Order: sequence, then structure tokens, then C-alpha cells
Amino acid sequence: MDFELLLGLGRFVLATTLLLLLTVPTAFVVIQMEMKIIAQMNLRFGPNRIGPKGIFQSTIHGFKVLAKEDTVPDQADRSTFTLAPWMVFMAAAMSMLVIPFAPGAIAADFNIGIVYFFAVLGLSVVGLLVAGWASYNKYSLLGGLRSAAQMVSYEIPLTLSIVGAVVLAGTLSFSELIAWQLDHGWLLMWQPIGLGIFYVSSLAEVNRTPFDMVEADSELVAGPFTEYSGMRFGFFFFAEYVALFIMSAILVSLFFGGWLAPWPFPAQLGGFAGTLYGIFWFFLKTYIFVFIAVWLRATLPRVRVDQLMGMAWKVLLPLALVNLFITAIAVVVFDL
Amino acid sequence: MTKLDPETRIPDPIELDAIEEARLRAAAGLAPIRSSTPEYAGFDQVGIPDRPPQTEREREVYSLEEGEMLINMGPQHPSTHGVMRLVVKVRGEIVVDIDPVLGYLHRGIEKLCENATYTTVLTYVDPMDYLATMHNEHAPAIAFEKLYGIRPPKRAEYIRALVVELERVSSHGLMMGFLALDMGGLTPILYAFINRDEIVDMQSAISGQRMLFNFFRVGGVNFDTNDEFLSRLGTWRGHVLKNIEMNERMITDNEIFRARTINMGTLSGADAISLGVTGPNLRASGVPFDVRKAHPYSIYHELEFDVITQQSGDSYARYLQRIAEIKQSIHLIDQIMDKMPHGPVQAQVPGIIRPKPGRAYAAIESPRGLYSVYSISDGGPNPYRFRMRDPSFISLQAMPKLMPGRLVADTMAIMASLDPVMGGVDK
Amino acid sequence: MGRRRALSTPALAGSLVRLLTERFGSDLRDLGTDEDTVEFTIDGARNIEVLTALRDDPDLDFFMLADEAAVDYGLDAHFEVVYHLFSWKHPAWLRVRARVDRSDPRIETITHLWEGASFHEREMYDMMGIVFTGNRDLRRIYMSPDYRSFPQRRDFVLPDDAADSPAAGVNPLERPETWDLSRFGDGSR
Repeated sequence: MDFELLLGLGRFVLATTLLLLLTVPTAFVVIQMEMKIIAQMNLRFGPNRIGPKGIFQSTIHGFKVLAKEDTVPDQADRSTFTLAPWMVFMAAAMSMLVIPFAPGAIAADFNIGIVYFFAVLGLSVVGLLVAGWASYNKYSLLGGLRSAAQMVSYEIPLTLSIVGAVVLAGTLSFSELIAWQLDHGWLLMWQPIGLGIFYVSSLAEVNRTPFDMVEADSELVAGPFTEYSGMRFGFFFFAEYVALFIMSAILVSLFFGGWLAPWPFPAQLGGFAGTLYGIFWFFLKTYIFVFIAVWLRATLPRVRVDQLMGMAWKVLLPLALVNLFITAIAVVVFDL
Repeated sequence: MTKLDPETRIPDPIELDAIEEARLRAAAGLAPIRSSTPEYAGFDQVGIPDRPPQTEREREVYSLEEGEMLINMGPQHPSTHGVMRLVVKVRGEIVVDIDPVLGYLHRGIEKLCENATYTTVLTYVDPMDYLATMHNEHAPAIAFEKLYGIRPPKRAEYIRALVVELERVSSHGLMMGFLALDMGGLTPILYAFINRDEIVDMQSAISGQRMLFNFFRVGGVNFDTNDEFLSRLGTWRGHVLKNIEMNERMITDNEIFRARTINMGTLSGADAISLGVTGPNLRASGVPFDVRKAHPYSIYHELEFDVITQQSGDSYARYLQRIAEIKQSIHLIDQIMDKMPHGPVQAQVPGIIRPKPGRAYAAIESPRGLYSVYSISDGGPNPYRFRMRDPSFISLQAMPKLMPGRLVADTMAIMASLDPVMGGVDK
Repeated sequence: MGRRRALSTPALAGSLVRLLTERFGSDLRDLGTDEDTVEFTIDGARNIEVLTALRDDPDLDFFMLADEAAVDYGLDAHFEVVYHLFSWKHPAWLRVRARVDRSDPRIETITHLWEGASFHEREMYDMMGIVFTGNRDLRRIYMSPDYRSFPQRRDFVLPDDAADSPAAGVNPLERPETWDLSRFGDGSR
């Protein structure tokens, strides 16, 4: 009994450590993708000096951020100002706990994983709001308020859009959801409206173009991050890109079969080989969606804050409710 | 030039009591009084100058009601198109009032020019509107030619019109990009710079400079066209329309872009005239005023073109107007190349020009509107008075008119659609 | 006019000159024409009257203020506020020169005729010290608000006049002895 508890604890510590460590290369890769892909789409070269084809540019950026002086504005509320980046980063890192990388490669396979995920990711808004308030800067304040309004609004269609999937599969656990998708086909086919709503809302939830209201560099300088420098800013920056990765990962798990290969044959692969195979497909699919987010950033301008809120409440929310309604009826009628 | 006696100095109309008092206190060795220190003033009071308001308008802008606050956009804001400061009074996200604060880039070019000879004046005006440098030189050149009573040879006039229209294409193209950039679109600006870079290469081939050309002379231009210029022009002409269309496809029909520009910052024709807004911004409001047609200078009476106008007068119309004018300018360039005569490019003028005493006014259509020069000669080698009217300086006055009731996010989008250039605004 | 030849736009100014003399008669002084400009001088006190007539008269219809500038003719002379107007009906710029007394440089604002004159007038006030009565926003536009002299006057001499400004010609930020550091807290937090 004691041994099992210790084993569980040890496993948990190991998993969380690994995940925390994973955030760093993930952020580096996503930032590198952002720089290089947008550059190519802009018909520029992009970073090409550090490492072959410039692949270590974002790593160098990371170290540069570490080396910067860490300043706190004189008027700022020092304790909350210091706490905010930590809150945002931890929200992102903690939500990684339930991401199903592969069979057997989930840090914590909760039976309420989906609920946990949305609960924890939603915490980052607190960090942004605190950062905006504590900076004693009007741009930060406006950015923080925007982030609160935006993320709280979009959380509702975001959560509602997957309730349909949950009703269909009858589970709140990620691994069971993926197991269901193995039997019935990817949820993409069952929940196309849910997928659309989820994708749009998730972009808003992680503050990506065209919904990057919070940062909005041409209006609010850098939103809540305006007064931050050094590694505190680095934490926000990391959290933002890790959140993008996480959202793509959750999108893949929910609608694109998670670790499943597009064809069924070797998905039955067991043991360590199966885990590696799952990880391969999982990361491939996830990075495809990261790529699409970067692509959107290179293409689209930013919507205005009132248009953004209007979209959440007038379009996405009713649509999500309709989707849920149809799904529920279908489940009852066809006894799915 | 003696210093004016302090007694004869005109009484300053402004209440300078506070400043006087500060000076007296400083003289007496007392610490300066601050009407409000940031610690105690409260967050919403930050940004209010600690001196009494000087005018009615200033009092209006800087007095806050419950729930309002001031935001200083600039002078180091990422998208103020140079160094300017917009004091934005907001209620939440809604803009209540706006007050442009200028002068961060003021170099006193008018004063400098009064101490320069007529030829060197043409070098001083270059860095004014730095996206339309050739236009900056064009108006003074015409004005000085009027003063001196000389006309440049025909070929020089054609070369002038050619480089000026090229510059218009590059400047309008950049406006497309900046407008998108201020709404968060990253790519159009870089596509616009491809086009601009080719034009800059051409200008560099003909004038030897990439930005501050110093190409115009009193009575002509510095150099004739050369092979490199012509070959670059030919290549550019081959694909420029494709380039512009590539950029247009990114912007024009983009749903987000349309939602953010249509019915935004609508300026009626009558308001625009009253506010002194000229150029594409005025034509986008439906007033067909184009100096090239209304008051032809150079060789524009020999070219065939119509004044393009838009009806709605909003940001989107201003954007469409720019695109239409790019195409029109390319059409004009074709005509100029067809009609280009042979001959000298510089009339005979002495090294130091001493025009007869007199006055001359020359107005041209710069990419931002009516750019004019009023020059007075007293018979000496340098202008007695040299006055430049910059269109973007005047267009900025439309901002307090357009902004109230809009959101903070629209501030930059509407300002970018007016396309001011701070080098010109601050002279 | 010596070497001067007609420019590209020959001034068809005859009818305009006739109209102007008809309307204003003896008010006009120094009525003259250039290649593409008709100009006359008025008294500074009459600027509103003349400009309103020029703008609103359907035959003249000078609806657009192209430029408004000030000229300093030197210590023993006068200021001049110069208006350049445009009309579709006449193929010439119209230049109205309004004389302003140098000892008391005041003139009525024209912001109620053209709102856009406001920035012009602020610039003229800033650079020349001409006071436009009725302009509700007459403050410095380029120079800082505490600047005391008028740089584009002919009698402006840089070091003297700058030294006359409260900060003695030096940006206060460059003079540490004037810094009030107490407002930044003691840095112990």
C-alpha cells in the first residue's frame, strides 16, 4: 500500500518534471516556427545566422531573455507583479498534465481530464488580469481587461462545443475518448460544427491572430506585458506559445483521434513501440495545427474588440447550443 | 538682426503664471510645487500636465469626468508613424476626445532654408515627407523657377513627372501595407516593400541616392535617364501590376479588413474641405480636387487622366482610392515614357541664383495631398521667406473630428488610413 | 518681367481682376497678377469680411484654403498673414495678403470659415507670435509649451532667446539639479 502510494507519487513527480522540461523545447520550436514560417510567407529569409538555417535563433532568444535586466516599475504592486507571469505559465504547464501524448504516456489520466483541462487553462486569465492591474500602466490595464473579457467570453462556446463530443462518447477522460474514436472513427466526422466552434474559440482563448486582442501591438503596445522585461516577460512569452501547442494538442485529441494513426492497422501496436508510434502521430498532427495557426497569423489582420465579443455571444454561443441540442437528440433517437 | 528689447515684446496671451512662479521659486531656492504627485493623484490623473491649461480646447481635452482617463499614444508607440503623441481621452475602450501633440521631429526646416541659397534649399526639403522626397523637391523647384523667371527644358519636365509618379506608386503602396499593419496584418507591408525597393533602386540609378535624392535643380534635373534606370523601369513595369494585385488579394476582400474599415472614420466632402484635408483623402470623400488637374503644373496638362474619386469617404474608400491612384500613376508613367522628348535636362542658370524681388507660390499634388511652397525673394542669394504647407500636417486635424465614439483599436487604423508622415508634419 | 516667360498655365486672370475690383473697390491695394496667381493686400482688420465674401460669393467661390502663412518683413516694418485660396471658377490661385501691425500683432482667426486653419494659426503663433483672436486652441504646436520666444521672426537670435526661456535653453531633463527625485520614492520597496 505504502509502496504503491510512493510509486504513484514518484511517477507523478517524474511526469510533472518531464512536462515542465518539455515546455521549454516546445516553446522554442513553436517560436522558431513562427519566425521562420512567417518570414517565408512574407517573402523574407527569416533568421538564418544561428545554427544551420538559423534553427537556434529562438534558443538564443530564450537565453537573451534570461540575461536581460529584470525591472519592476516604481509604481507597480511588486508582489502581484512578480506573481503574474508565474500564474500564467503555471496555468499552461499544469494543463499539460492531461494531454494524452500516446497510450501510456499521459501524466495523469483523470476520469475528468476534460473538465480539469478547461478549469486549469482558464486560470491564465487571472494571471493576465493581475499583470495588467499590477503594472500601473494604462496600456497594461486595458490589455488585462480585454483579456478578461475575451477569455471569459470564449470559454463558454469553447466548453460547450465539446459537450457534444462528450455526450457522444460518454466519457470525460481523454484516453477513453481516444479509445472511442478508435472504434467509431474520429470525432471530426461526428462533430463538424463542434470542431469549427472549438477551433475559432481556441484561437481566441490562446490569443492568436486574428484574436490577439490582448497583446495588440499596434494599439496597446504589448497589452499586459508592456512593463515586463527579462525572464518575467519570457514566462509570458513561453506560456503563450506553449498554450498554442496545448490547444492544438487538445484539438487533435478531441477531434482528430489523438495518437491514432489515420489508418487503423498499426494502431494496435502494443508496448513501447506503440507508445513511440502514438507520440509520432500525435506530434505530427499537433504541429500541423500549430502551423495553421502561424499561417493565420501571417495572413489575417486583427479583429476589433467589439467584433470579437459580438462573435462569441451572437454567433458561436447559439451555434454551440444548437450543436449540443442536435447531438443530444441524435444520441437519444439513434441510441448511439 | 538685433535682439528685440524685452519691453517691446508683445504681451504673451497665454497665462504663464505657473511657469513664472516656478521660475521665481527656483530663483529663490525653493523646491518646485507640484499640483499633483503621481502617488496621490490617482491612476486616472496620470498624464495631465502639471500646469494650468492654456486654451479653451486644452481645458476641454485635459479635464476628466468620472470614468475617463488619458492615454498617451506615443511618442514611442509602435504605430504612430513616426514620433508623434496622441493624447487619447478614453472611457473604457471608447475614445472621447483626441489631441495630437506634435513637434517631436521639428527641425525648423523653414528657418534653415532662409539661410540657404536657392540651390541648397532643395537639399534641405528632402527629409520632410520622407516617403515622397521627389515631391518635396518639386514644389520648391517650381517656385524658384517662377521667381527666377526660367523654365526647365521639356525633357527635364518629363523626367520630373516620371520620378514623381514613381514615387507616388511607392508611397501609396506603402500606405496599403501600413494600414494593414496597424490592424495586425503582418504580410502586406512586406509585399509593399518589394515594390518600393524596386522603385528605390530605380531612383538610386537615376539620382545616385536611395532616399534623399537631391535630384531636382532650379531649371532642370541633376541627371538624364541612364540605361540602368531604363532597364530597371522596364522590368518593374512588367510585373508591377501583378505585385500590386498580389497585395490587394491579401487585403481588399478580407472580411476582417472590410469590417474594420467600412463606415469607419467617415469624412464628408464638406468637412474635408473645411478641415483642409487634401489629396487622396479628399478625393475619397467625393471631391474631385487634384492639383494636377485643377491647376496643372509641370507637364500634367499634356497627359491624359481623369480625377478618380470615391463616394463613401470612409477608411475603406481611402484605401481603394490609393489603389486606383497607383494604377493611374502607372498609366501616367506609360504615357510619360511614350511622350518623352529628347534634349537637355538642365537650363542655363548661374551657380548662385539671385532672383528679382518678388513672391511665388507653387503647389503640387504630393501623395498626401496639396503640398505647396510660398517663397519670397528680396533679391539676395537666399529666400527671404520660405514657407511649406505640408498636407499631412493639416490632415491630422481630422483626427479629433473622426475619433470620438470609436474604439481605441480604431485610433491607429483611422490614422493609418489618413496616411500622415511625421517628417512632413513636423517640418 | 525680364526673362520671365509664361508658365504652363497662362493666367486667365482678367475676369477675376475685374470681379475683385467690382466687389471690393478701394479696399484692395497692390492688386497684381503673376503667371498663375492674383494677389492683393488688405488691412489685417478686414480679413474676415474679405475672406467671407471671397468664399461665399457665388461668382468668386473660393471654397478652399490652400495655405495660410505669416511673413515677417523686419523690425521696422510689419507682419503679413498670407492666405492662398482656390476656386474652380478661376484658373489662378488667389493670394490675399493681410497686414498686421508688428507692435500689436493681432488678427481675427478664420477657423470659423475653415476649421483647417487652426493648425496653420497655431504654427504661426508658435513661430511668429501672431495672436489670432477667437482661435480657441492657440497654443504652441512645435515648440514646447514653456518656450517664450518666436523662432521665425527676423530678430530671433538663437542663444539669447533660448536663454530667455524658463529652462535657460536647456531641456529640464538634462539638468539634474532641477530633478525632483522625491516623487520616485526612496527606492527601498
